Amino acid sequence: MILVDAKRRMCAALIPACALVAAASACGDGSGQGLPPASGSADAYQQVIDAAPTARGSDIPAGSLMAKIKSRGTLIVGGTETAALFSLKDPISGKTRGFDAGLAAMLAKYIIGKPDVKLMQVSVNTREALLQNGTVDTVFATYTITPERAKKVAFAGPYYSSGDAILVKKGEKSINSASDLNNRTVCTETSSVAANDIKKAAPKAKVVLFDQNTQCVQAVEDGRADAYVLDQGILLGDAYRDHKVTVVGQPFTTEPYGIGLSQSAPEMKTFVNNWLKLIQTNGQWSELWKATIGTAVSGDAPRPLAIGSVAGS
Amino acid sequence: MNAIIDHSGQLAHGLFLTLAMTICGFACALALGVLLAVLLISPVVPMRTLASVYVAVFRNIPLLVWLVLFVFGLPEIGLLYSLLTTVTVAMALYWAAFICEVIRSGVRTVPPGQIEAARALGFRFIQILRHLVLPQATRSMVQPLGNIFIALTLNTSLAAAVGVRELTGEAQVFTIRYDIPIPIFAVTTAIYVLMTLTGGLVTGRLERKLAINR
Repeated sequence: MILVDAKRRMCAALIPACALVAAASACGDGSGQGLPPASGSADAYQQVIDAAPTARGSDIPAGSLMAKIKSRGTLIVGGTETAALFSLKDPISGKTRGFDAGLAAMLAKYIIGKPDVKLMQVSVNTREALLQNGTVDTVFATYTITPERAKKVAFAGPYYSSGDAILVKKGEKSINSASDLNNRTVCTETSSVAANDIKKAAPKAKVVLFDQNTQCVQAVEDGRADAYVLDQGILLGDAYRDHKVTVVGQPFTTEPYGIGLSQSAPEMKTFVNNWLKLIQTNGQWSELWKATIGTAVSGDAPRPLAIGSVAGS
Repeated sequence: MNAIIDHSGQLAHGLFLTLAMTICGFACALALGVLLAVLLISPVVPMRTLASVYVAVFRNIPLLVWLVLFVFGLPEIGLLYSLLTTVTVAMALYWAAFICEVIRSGVRTVPPGQIEAARALGFRFIQILRHLVLPQATRSMVQPLGNIFIALTLNTSLAAAVGVRELTGEAQVFTIRYDIPIPIFAVTTAIYVLMTLTGGLVTGRLERKLAINR
């Protein structure tokens, strides 16, 4: 235990050091083409971000939103600090880590040359409005692409496909699939579209909304709710940390996640889609998956979805 | 906007829960607040200490923290009640601390000299309370109690954070289902304003009714 702690602390101390090295090397040769993988102690997650590519100057035309972000020197991202595996704040480094957080850092690096992200917490109520009025440049927040949302904001991607799964207390035998949720109390997060999916899959289920993932898990443990429905990735993370609960069955929906962008800057959507294609073909997308979601899900990285393959993207 | 009209029944149910929480919560808080005020005014030291510790504990911790503690903490010690009951009880306990102080300070506005004079004239305790203390104290308590009523009404929205589908909770459901955050929150805002304005109107009426006609 002590050993693990010491190792973690060392990592935490090394991350700022790596960042300094990165900044220095970027200034030095001016190419900004990443930096050689830092010494063996930097973890896989940091290595993916360190190795992320930077766009050529010709990809960023003057007057575009990307040029504006580049001159500002930081990418303003709408996200969260509480989604395990996707974007969870690390209490030691104070930075968010996860699949969404990693992609945001990589996009920032692609535009600016360094992974400089300013995270603004968003909720399901505020995401579209903040994109429309330009408060945030982009949203990485397990943001499911839906036709209704696509009327208001632009979506790059899809960059990941998830699905709603069911989490129950260990020993609960009567819930095995979505149809078993009828006449039961089912909770989910306020910030998710899962509430709709429950109503579709089990019209007689009683839906209760809690603000946070941890509260939903607690409600299932206490018996306040019979089941908790949310994206499989997040539920697996919960079951991984908390041994009193378990995930049953296979996902019963498909949730394509998109990168939220403003409709007023169409050049940004093309740019982000090109960047997604780049990191998917060079394997960094899969590496990031392995370093984040892959730590809770067994098996290889899934094949990325084709860009623009979902209605609304 | 059509979605709101088509599913107004759902919103009405949310409004019903909000009203139920407001009315039950305020009634319970008032009853408990009066009891606490009596303890706080009483000459018995342990009673006074009990009441002042209660006020200190409940008034100095945010309501949302209490709600989360009640909803997720009580089941840990085997007390599992429905969400609505748990939240209403937590709110009543919280606001009772404020009401207790309002009532105490209201009673204190009656000069002790008057009570002594009444006693000298042979008034019994109940008579002093009925003819002297309460009429004067109530007058100064009306507006502060109205403030608490408004605060309690608005704070019922915190229940949405712990899973109660009251007005704000329903607005969140509407947002998830139809993706119309701004219209639905505009409608709920209007409903809240209507409720609190009614509260203000009633306190204004009460105040005029209780005013001394000189």
